[in-house]
Amino acid sequence: MLENLFVGTADWLRSLLGGIGFLPTEIAESIVLLVKLVAVLVFILVNALWLVYMERKVAAFMQARIGPNRVGPWGLLQTTCDIGKLISKEIIIPKKADKVVFLLAPVLIFLPPLMVFAVLPLGKNMAALDLNIGVFYLLAIASLSTLFFFMGGWASNSKYSLLGAMRTVAQMVSYELPLVLSLLGVIMIVGSLNMSDIIAAQEHTWLIFTQPIAFLIFFIAAVAETNRCPFDLVEGESEIINGPYTEYGGMGFAMFFLAEYANIMVVCAMATIMFLGGWHAPFGLTFIPSWVWFFIKMYVLIFIVMQFRWTYPRIRIDQLMGFGWKVLVPLSLANIFVTGIGMYIYRAIGW
Amino acid sequence: MFGKGLVKGLQITWKEFWAPKLTVQYPEKQHTVPERFHGKFVLDVDKCIACGLCANACPNRVISLNKQKVGKKQYLTDYQMNIQYCLFCGLCVESCNKDALHFTKDFNMNQYFYKNIPLVLVRREAPAEPLEEPTAGGEDQPKPKLKPQAPKEEKVAKPAAPAAESEAAAGKEGQ
Repeated sequence: MLENLFVGTADWLRSLLGGIGFLPTEIAESIVLLVKLVAVLVFILVNALWLVYMERKVAAFMQARIGPNRVGPWGLLQTTCDIGKLISKEIIIPKKADKVVFLLAPVLIFLPPLMVFAVLPLGKNMAALDLNIGVFYLLAIASLSTLFFFMGGWASNSKYSLLGAMRTVAQMVSYELPLVLSLLGVIMIVGSLNMSDIIAAQEHTWLIFTQPIAFLIFFIAAVAETNRCPFDLVEGESEIINGPYTEYGGMGFAMFFLAEYANIMVVCAMATIMFLGGWHAPFGLTFIPSWVWFFIKMYVLIFIVMQFRWTYPRIRIDQLMGFGWKVLVPLSLANIFVTGIGMYIYRAIGW
Repeated sequence: MFGKGLVKGLQITWKEFWAPKLTVQYPEKQHTVPERFHGKFVLDVDKCIACGLCANACPNRVISLNKQKVGKKQYLTDYQMNIQYCLFCGLCVESCNKDALHFTKDFNMNQYFYKNIPLVLVRREAPAEPLEEPTAGGEDQPKPKLKPQAPKEEKVAKPAAPAAESEAAAGKEGQ
């Protein structure tokens, strides 16, 4: 019952639209798809709100504090309240800013996470769109958010914004490489770019056990991609006052802020699908629905990302580049090499 | 091994995550206020002889008092502290030789209106005639109490420097 909650809802909607009769199947199908996409958008927004709250709570708990606890029960409405405040604020546009691009950047920033989540299987048969080249699409879209950060930073016409935006691009270029190369090992083993196939291949053994190095590289690169600590040079509150967001206030800032958490969600969901078996239940605990398992795994990874922030100091830009190019890229290439040899040997044995 | 420190750091934050939290949720709970806390003032009117030493001791001229002669004695009619200028140094409490002025542990002296800030400790009318019974009782009681105390302090204070005297006085206030 609970297992098929969302799939069942989609089927019910489809049969309802089919029951009307005069609608062609294509239109009915597209309405169902639209509903799915709206559901994904709501899912992302609610989760981003929750993650801001969670981040503050985790931060507080690791510093022997309690964190937000005044607005609503246990402070649960704190983020809602903050967003309400930010919405009510004036949108200030700097005099020399490029107005169109400046206003466009925070509007578009939510696009990449939405587009990525549209193809992610969040449970058994629970991808809004099951793409044949899902991984390829996902990697292409996920790195798109850099463009919007750069748009915001460039259009602000401020040195801090531009510096932060430049760093975003530099970071993306150097960490996208190990990210993609680490996934290559997974794809070599599975032999498919379809995410449902990748998850199906992990039914018995999660790929984190066959590709541990790849998982580490992927996770580190993903943290760097989302501009999180210890790779948060892009924001760098203490040196370049929040980087690309410096000139933004009110809802523009809120959009960037929420998009950061949406991006964390995207990379953690990616890591879950690629390495942690997606929605497969461990130890045969199948009585818990598959989408709950997906959620738990994703949130464990998100917690680790948050823990990184309150454990490690920010690294310098030269260390960042050095680590990316001198450690992660060679390591991921070596991983591909070893995986290839391993696969060849297994095939020779006849496994 | 490479990466040992990273894991150790994560272990520490993980442990801290479950450690008890130090925050005291203020309006509902409070830290215990220390014994010698400098908070709101109280004046024991029966002990006060309206000598004005406290007003003279105050570096900020916070204390203003009015007195009136009733019979032979000075009668305190008005004692007001402009608490917004007070620096809670405690010199007034130390200077009181009748042990009438005291600190309490109450630190919440906020007011909604500026005119309510001054702390009025006494405001009363002077009686037309000297009241025999209560004033006599009020005078008699502290005297035997103070007399054994005063020589003790002098013994300590006399051989030592004047700094010790103030220390002894502070100790008296603490009790």
